[in-house]
Amino acid sequence: MIGGILVKLAFLTCLLSVACFYQTHRSGNTRYLKLGRAFFHATVISVLVIAATLLYLILTHQFQYTYVWSYSSRELSLPLLISTFYAGQEGSFMLWTLYTSLIGIFLMQYSSKKGYEPQVMSVYGLIELMLLLMLIVKNPFTFVWETWPGQVEAGFVPQNGRGLNPLLQNYWMVIHPQVLFTGFASMGVPYAYAVAAMMKRDYSNWIRPATPWIVYGATVLGTGIMMGGFWAYETLGWGGYWGWDPVENSSLVPWLFAIGSIHTILSQRKSGAFVRTNLMLAMLCFITVLYSTFLTRSGVLGDTSVHSFVDPGMWAYWLLIGIIILFVGLGFGLLVKRLREMPKVPPQHSYLSREFALFLGSATLVCAAIFVTVGTSSPIITEIIQGKTTAVDISYYVTTTLPLGIAIGLLTGLGQLLWWTRSDKRGFLRTLIWPVGLALFATAVIGFFGIESMVVALFVFGACFALLANIQVGWRIIKGNPKYAGGAIAHVGLAVMFLGFVGSGNYNDKQTISLVEGKSVDALGYTLTYVGYRPIDQEKYAFQVNVEKDGRNYHVAPIMYYSSYTEGLMRNPDIVNLITKDFYLAPLSLEQNGSKNRTSAQRLLLKKGESKTIADVEVTFVDFDFPVMEKAAMLEGKEVRIGAKLRIAEAGSKPVLITPFKIIDGGVSRDEMAAFEDRFEFTIVNMNPDREDRDNSRVELSVNDLSSTTQGQSGEGDVLVVEASVKPFINMVWSGVIILLVGFIVTIVRRTKEAALRNRNL
Amino acid sequence: MNPKVIVGSIIVIVFIIFGSYSFLESNVEYTDVSGAMRSQKKVQLKGSWNRDKEASFDPRTSQFTFYLIDESGKECKVVLEGAAPNNFEMATSVVAKGRFLEEGYFHATEVLTKCPSKYEADPEDVKRKV
Repeated sequence: MIGGILVKLAFLTCLLSVACFYQTHRSGNTRYLKLGRAFFHATVISVLVIAATLLYLILTHQFQYTYVWSYSSRELSLPLLISTFYAGQEGSFMLWTLYTSLIGIFLMQYSSKKGYEPQVMSVYGLIELMLLLMLIVKNPFTFVWETWPGQVEAGFVPQNGRGLNPLLQNYWMVIHPQVLFTGFASMGVPYAYAVAAMMKRDYSNWIRPATPWIVYGATVLGTGIMMGGFWAYETLGWGGYWGWDPVENSSLVPWLFAIGSIHTILSQRKSGAFVRTNLMLAMLCFITVLYSTFLTRSGVLGDTSVHSFVDPGMWAYWLLIGIIILFVGLGFGLLVKRLREMPKVPPQHSYLSREFALFLGSATLVCAAIFVTVGTSSPIITEIIQGKTTAVDISYYVTTTLPLGIAIGLLTGLGQLLWWTRSDKRGFLRTLIWPVGLALFATAVIGFFGIESMVVALFVFGACFALLANIQVGWRIIKGNPKYAGGAIAHVGLAVMFLGFVGSGNYNDKQTISLVEGKSVDALGYTLTYVGYRPIDQEKYAFQVNVEKDGRNYHVAPIMYYSSYTEGLMRNPDIVNLITKDFYLAPLSLEQNGSKNRTSAQRLLLKKGESKTIADVEVTFVDFDFPVMEKAAMLEGKEVRIGAKLRIAEAGSKPVLITPFKIIDGGVSRDEMAAFEDRFEFTIVNMNPDREDRDNSRVELSVNDLSSTTQGQSGEGDVLVVEASVKPFINMVWSGVIILLVGFIVTIVRRTKEAALRNRNL
Repeated sequence: MNPKVIVGSIIVIVFIIFGSYSFLESNVEYTDVSGAMRSQKKVQLKGSWNRDKEASFDPRTSQFTFYLIDESGKECKVVLEGAAPNNFEMATSVVAKGRFLEEGYFHATEVLTKCPSKYEADPEDVKRKV
């Protein structure tokens, strides 16, 4: 209740704040500026209270709220419980709004110092306003009886929530969405600066205060993307760190635009050219965030992704479209309107200059972003053209981005070796000798181990060249002034990451192996032995496998468990991390001994006291074995053992009593079978106790005739089926990304200082 | 005309052609069982799995076999390279990527699952006491 009202209040104060900031811009009256600030502060405080309210409702298990009921439960640990805050659409919009507000506080002070406050804050406030509007439509404070009016009585409080999808029950869930949404929120800043620049008709100075924010956005979003990749690789068992899935792509595209704009802005600082390009790119950083949100939140992608997309309802769908139209219309409308008056600086540089390399690099990044966007939007494009939804195969992304990757590698190297404006041809060619020569040598060495195709070979060459050229230049810079080394460091990281892609992708060896318990199997140069499983975390099982290579022993324990939430088998891989490679073991299934025969086993449905004959024995269901103390255990939620007493009578000998058990523990049941001599195994399939008329109780049994199965099969242990793969140089991917991000941070520090310095000079 | 413009346009056109070619080449059509049988190309077969028939993993061939029924009710055997996908048991609908083979079954390289019912709650769920 209070949350819903506060959202509307925040919307109102935000609207007033935007109006005041805009009025300040129009009239220059500082009285409105103070009001605008006050209203924005009020908005941020409301948003903080709303977020705190939602968190409080989650922590205190207020399941009468549909959102709390839908994503959390009493069983979750505290960090995971907190993470259910953003497990659903409403909450993730809430998180986005929260970070937009917090960044807004810093932005307000920062832009005020740079003389940009009224313009930047009226645009940024508009972004906040639209997010709040989204929260009014997708309100996380709806009661269950409001969600299903007439079907759930008012005031009803469910005892427990549905819980969190086990796929998300992981420590990455605690951190990854937070980082990603901080990245999304910070992408609003370059947009605000670009529009503000056009409002102020100041086309050249805005890039200085905006640069640190773009690099910051790229750093945070990049970190988020990497964490997502690591999550997928390490726990979800998708086999890789990148699957070109719409959700992954939708965070990659804004990132590519941000990287592109960092490079052309660098050019504009030197020569004053690329005015319009930079305005466009800075706006596209945010517009692609919005478009991504639309793709992944509106349900338009339907069946084309491994992520499940819920239809958010008609209102949210059209609101998302409306928001995109608004921000595209505002930004590009203003751009078209102001196009004539923008300074046209003809490029002064020759083709052999750093500016031109930067421009080409940026163009290549934008091109990659367009290819990825087109691919991700393929269900929509084909729907419009053919009237039938189809999606592109993952191979599309590889074919289109690989040539661009080659260009990026080469340009990353060339850009560093070239001088601004114009390079001396001779001198330039001389600087090329070492990096090109060494890169050719390195490519030949790598090619010796086998390279799939010429394109991949070129990609390797490009990456090696970029690496060597940037090490060479970077080393000189670090000796001179390490603060300026951000670019070179980031490029080294990129090159290392590219080489990691080739290593882990191109030389990836994969094999499906069936491991019989206790028997060693050789695969991919490793010796694998499945030694058995042990329960962890109540309902999960870790399957222990010994991995031996060159006399060294490693223990891996991939996890499989039955999840009652998804009603399916969940699997988590395990990894042996070696310096040069990862040995990756993903569990597929466990074929328990006897389960093969179970299909041929007989089913037996018996009423209490009833007898039936199998082969030459008579089976009688005597009664359930369910002592009083077990009933007490059941009420307390402890492990419960329920048995079915059976009397087996064979002609000419004394009847025997045996009891198979079903053991129920925390919603998971397992069987304890009972054998009759070495001939029959009995397992309980179903129990139907009838409390009213105990004689009407029934049991369904599965009877396994051991004499009909071959000796060899029954003598063997369980079979664990795994997919093993060796991923060489995967560590280069992770370390490359980390070096890249370190480079970004060095750049942020440098550019923030520069922006501050310039400010003092004004 | 400015040579830069000409070079630029050529590059742009080459990229557009290259992009569209790759797009059309890798576009995988959604279809039903009869469509998959007709098509020679790789398709995405949409339907639900027949819970009455056995769905099992064969460790010897590392293949997962199940039976898929499309919207028109036509059934088809699907053999997937690998194990059942994570959410297979709860899937209300599945999409199998692959092609129909002459041997009489659909050979899938990938199976995606859709499980909307679990994400879209209904009031009965709320009332259920745990």
